Amino acid sequence: MIIVNNRDKVEWKEGMTVQDLLDEMGYHFRLITVTVNDELVSKFDYGSFLLSDNAKVGVFHLAHGG
Amino acid sequence: MDTNKIKVIIDDKEVEVVRDTFLLKAIQAVGIHVPTLCHHKDLTPSGTCRLCIVEVENGGEMKLVTSCNYPVREEMKVYTQSDRVMKHRKLLGEMYLGRWPNVPAVQDIAKRCGATDKEKFRSELTDENPKACILCGHCVRACDEFIQERILDYAGRGIKRHLTMPFGEVDPHCIGCTSCAYTCPTGAIEIIDDINHPDNPKLIRDYGMRINAEMATLDKSQNRMREVGTATIVEVMDAYDLLPVHNFKFGCHPDTPKIDSAVLKAKYFTQNHPDGCWKGCSMACSKAVDGFELKTGPYEGQKVIVDGPEYENAGACANMGCFDGDFVVEWNFYCDTYGVDTISFGTTMAFVMECYENGVIDKNVTDGKALNFGAMDEAMECLHEMARGEGFGVEVGQGVRWLKNKWIKELSADADFLQDIGMEAKGLEYSEYMCKESLAQQAGYTLAVKGPQHDEAWLIFMDMVNNQIPSFEDKAEALYYYPLWRTWFSLHGLCKLIWNDVVPADNKTYKPQIAAKVPGHMEDFFKFYEGMFGEPIDEKSMLDQSARVHNLERIMIRMLGYGTRKEDIPPYRAVGPVTEEEYESRAEKYYDKQMKENIGIDPEGKTTQEKMKIVRKYRTEQYNKVVDAAYDRRGWNRNGVPKIDRLKELGIDLPELVEIIKDDQESRTFK
Repeated sequence: MIIVNNRDKVEWKEGMTVQDLLDEMGYHFRLITVTVNDELVSKFDYGSFLLSDNAKVGVFHLAHGG
Repeated sequence: MDTNKIKVIIDDKEVEVVRDTFLLKAIQAVGIHVPTLCHHKDLTPSGTCRLCIVEVENGGEMKLVTSCNYPVREEMKVYTQSDRVMKHRKLLGEMYLGRWPNVPAVQDIAKRCGATDKEKFRSELTDENPKACILCGHCVRACDEFIQERILDYAGRGIKRHLTMPFGEVDPHCIGCTSCAYTCPTGAIEIIDDINHPDNPKLIRDYGMRINAEMATLDKSQNRMREVGTATIVEVMDAYDLLPVHNFKFGCHPDTPKIDSAVLKAKYFTQNHPDGCWKGCSMACSKAVDGFELKTGPYEGQKVIVDGPEYENAGACANMGCFDGDFVVEWNFYCDTYGVDTISFGTTMAFVMECYENGVIDKNVTDGKALNFGAMDEAMECLHEMARGEGFGVEVGQGVRWLKNKWIKELSADADFLQDIGMEAKGLEYSEYMCKESLAQQAGYTLAVKGPQHDEAWLIFMDMVNNQIPSFEDKAEALYYYPLWRTWFSLHGLCKLIWNDVVPADNKTYKPQIAAKVPGHMEDFFKFYEGMFGEPIDEKSMLDQSARVHNLERIMIRMLGYGTRKEDIPPYRAVGPVTEEEYESRAEKYYDKQMKENIGIDPEGKTTQEKMKIVRKYRTEQYNKVVDAAYDRRGWNRNGVPKIDRLKELGIDLPELVEIIKDDQESRTFK
């Protein structure tokens, strides 16, 4: 099980990447920062960064409305 | 294997770079210095000075390339100091030195290239001025890319090439942004103007240029404010369940793609050049639609220019269920032309439509108009009526609170229902964001001095999506900090959009709580203040300055007979689901889940009405708790009135202010 933002639970699958997780969450906002177990992940690595089971993922959206 | 990354060996140092990275950047990343004259970190590379040439080996073939504008697309070996490279560079250095022998930047570069002979290329073109223009083109690109103007450019060819404004005259379109001087490496362009006499104009310019550079280099990969403006978030709000649909019942709709930024850009936005609030804004996020033929109203059949649309226009149309690009643009035009606020009209009309669909009002009230959600012709006619001062439109123009009171009194409408669905607080209509799933934003809206407008606090993503302010204390801190910060920069004429609709590249290296403040831009704003007034300011001083104004505003409202807790109570629609349809549409994602996980009650076997009652009780209690916490943090009592001790802390315990609130100091429990 992956824990996102200390709250949301997403079922882990073999070979799951950060991009897979973002797709599953519907997180496609441009100004986001992703951490996996507190380590920053470059946006260029979303498609290749493999998530391990029980990973703690932070997806920080920087948005403050209009 | 990650095909996005490419291996490059630079002088025996190996590095992996993202595809299409310019080679110079890769070279700099491994700590190797390559001389440049025309290159600037914030401008599009041009490759004109040729000094950054390196030798590239690819498949056995060797070739010289200018590294600043050579994109890496395949594995390669790079030689930055081969004999061939050094020979070319030295020759270039000698040529530059021959033409501009006294310009320090040229002397420095020549030295790095091993060129010392000033006489070798001396000619009639030699310019002895130490501040000569060396035709690097920084200013031309800065004018275009930083500020989206083309005031400066080259003229003449070959040895006659020179820099000029059109026809050699001072162009009145130049707004004196100073981007050209900021990027000039020789001092050929100097600033002699200091309008408004700031204490330190250079400090303001230097920090302003940081924002200009970010707009030029980062905006296209961030929020695309130059390209589509605030409309960029129409689809974002829809995707995150935050776009108000049908009077804030729902947060998304299958027809949103008909009014999103892609449609507005492809079909409507025409000018495709900067249209800022003021000439010189490097973000210039305003958009325009030219030659739009109106279908209704006094200008029917005429082709007009429409200023917009922006997010709130499209959001208000979604709220009315009007998912049609032509409608968004025409309605936007007439609201502007009549001087009508699109948010207030949109939210009021959405309320009217829900009342019509629920039988609260009928055609006798609406002068024969069937005002269902999505009734575009009828909604537009109401707008025209409002402007003409006749018919039902005049009543719509009075706003949600007035309509609620009238229909309760004259039509015996269900007062509780109208109170629940009438999206206003303090008499102002809600702006176009769904806040039901964000407790912090519920209070952010209602605690705002002017009413539920989001310019004091927009905390939805921090709260609902990021979960970065989970406790009441966290939310209260955000409800303390952000309204004060936003009030502070608004007071100084600084714009929210450059605060965080483009952010410095390093912003993501901060922890979320700090990153949300955009520390790089806070620094910029503080430097603007210092440059203007001559004294530095820090976060604590900023908060105190702003709190004086914020508390003064709250006391003034109290003076007018408002400004207590009861004015800070939202309609329930802003807090949770009012109708069964609304509950069921989001039951699994939010409400049943909340019952199970947070309230501790199993929703299984319960009717929707039973579940709605449980959720309502819980959410109302939560709302009151967050308001208590926010009042405490602000130094207000539980009735939302500033404590006299807080005024003393801020140094604004003036007798005339104390007089207004002294009778409200008793602290009781208000619910």
